[in-house]
Amino acid sequence: MIQTLLLLAQAEAPSAEQVDIMTTLGVTKSGLFAQIFVFLLLGWLLKKYAFGPIQDILEKRRIEIAESLSNAEKIKKELSEAESIRKELIKKAQDQASLMISEAQKRAAEQGEKKLQEAVAEAESVIRKGRESIALDRVKMLAELRQEVIALVVDTTAKVTGKVLSIEDQKRLKEEAVKQLAA
Amino acid sequence: MPSLSSFSLFAEAGLPMAAPVLFKLWFIPVTNSMVLGLMVTLLLIFFAQLATRDIQRVPAGLQNLWEWVIESLGGLLESILGRELMRKTFWYFATVFIFILACNILSLFPGVGTVGWGHNDEHGHFEMVKPLFRGANADVNMTMAMALSFFLMWLIWSIQSNGIGGFLHHIFGSKAALPGVLGVLMIFIFFAVGVLEVISIAVRPVALTFRLYGNIYGGEAMVHAIEHIAGNFAFIALVPVYLFELMVALVQALVFCLLTAVFTGMMCKHEEGHGNTGGHH
Repeated sequence: MIQTLLLLAQAEAPSAEQVDIMTTLGVTKSGLFAQIFVFLLLGWLLKKYAFGPIQDILEKRRIEIAESLSNAEKIKKELSEAESIRKELIKKAQDQASLMISEAQKRAAEQGEKKLQEAVAEAESVIRKGRESIALDRVKMLAELRQEVIALVVDTTAKVTGKVLSIEDQKRLKEEAVKQLAA
Repeated sequence: MPSLSSFSLFAEAGLPMAAPVLFKLWFIPVTNSMVLGLMVTLLLIFFAQLATRDIQRVPAGLQNLWEWVIESLGGLLESILGRELMRKTFWYFATVFIFILACNILSLFPGVGTVGWGHNDEHGHFEMVKPLFRGANADVNMTMAMALSFFLMWLIWSIQSNGIGGFLHHIFGSKAALPGVLGVLMIFIFFAVGVLEVISIAVRPVALTFRLYGNIYGGEAMVHAIEHIAGNFAFIALVPVYLFELMVALVQALVFCLLTAVFTGMMCKHEEGHGNTGGHH
């Protein structure tokens, strides 16, 4: 059994050439280190000249976008606040305007009432004065009429009787005419 | 069970497993995959410079595309690593993703694997021996370089994030605050778990290396094989394969990037705002 296994092992045992897999694959220390050097150099160059600047600008852009979004949010908030202030101001203005209008209407009504009363009073005053004036004119006219009538009575009597009336006659005639007019 | 050499021979019938060395630069063997890798590196640097030479506040054109790539990757990585850790490690994961994706896509371009040096065989057919370009990730040197550089960076970030004590505690320390004998028992259990964790951590670069290499090498080998089998109809037969390879290119770039990010997050991620104290929560 052991001999069989040994024979099998010998049959399958690779030769030195077969064992040297690295030679088969062409791996050499100098080639390998050269490749490592070239690869790391490429990595360094790309990091410095290709990835670095782009990553920096991407980071800057990310920060700018974050700031812009934050600013937009802030502006939105401020706009909302301004809108509410605007609405509040408009409401206040509307309230004030309504108040002013109602006060003006009230004042206008009061003023109208006052003017009406003044006009009524003035009209009453004018009417009263007119009545007084009419009454005075009437009294005056009556007095003048009375004088005229007395003078006519005296003249007529003198003409009818054909004599010149004495002072006493004229006085008596005037008194009688006054008594008759008063009656 | 086929031996490694027979597999290697089978594979080399289409595409050699190792990238051929074109020339030596001092003591460094320059392979055709390194040439493509360097081309991709230069293209990426050129493109990045073009996109970022005149950065505008309102992006347009290439800057827009570059920003989209970085922002999308950043968002994806942030969901795994958290904001702070993502900002710290972004360069590595973004480089990994973009580099792997660019290499994979460029390796599908016409001329890769078909332009180079070769000779006519006994039947008069031209046999390519040293193509000028080869998919950068179809070379273990490249995938291993990325995996090892990840391991190095992971170690640095883990220690920066946890401290040496926190790092060791994270792996070996008991996370169960139990009193008495049970607590002591837990210390032994968590230590044993830590040993397994160390093995798991050690295996990660190997897995990352061969997953990417295997997928990309396999894809290229398949392209070569179908091209060989289809003959004059290769241009039609390869269309679905190329579409599939495009998907593989993206998926493998994502897998490598996300796995490394998850490994980093598992060790370094703390709850946002909790600072750098303590181990993994």
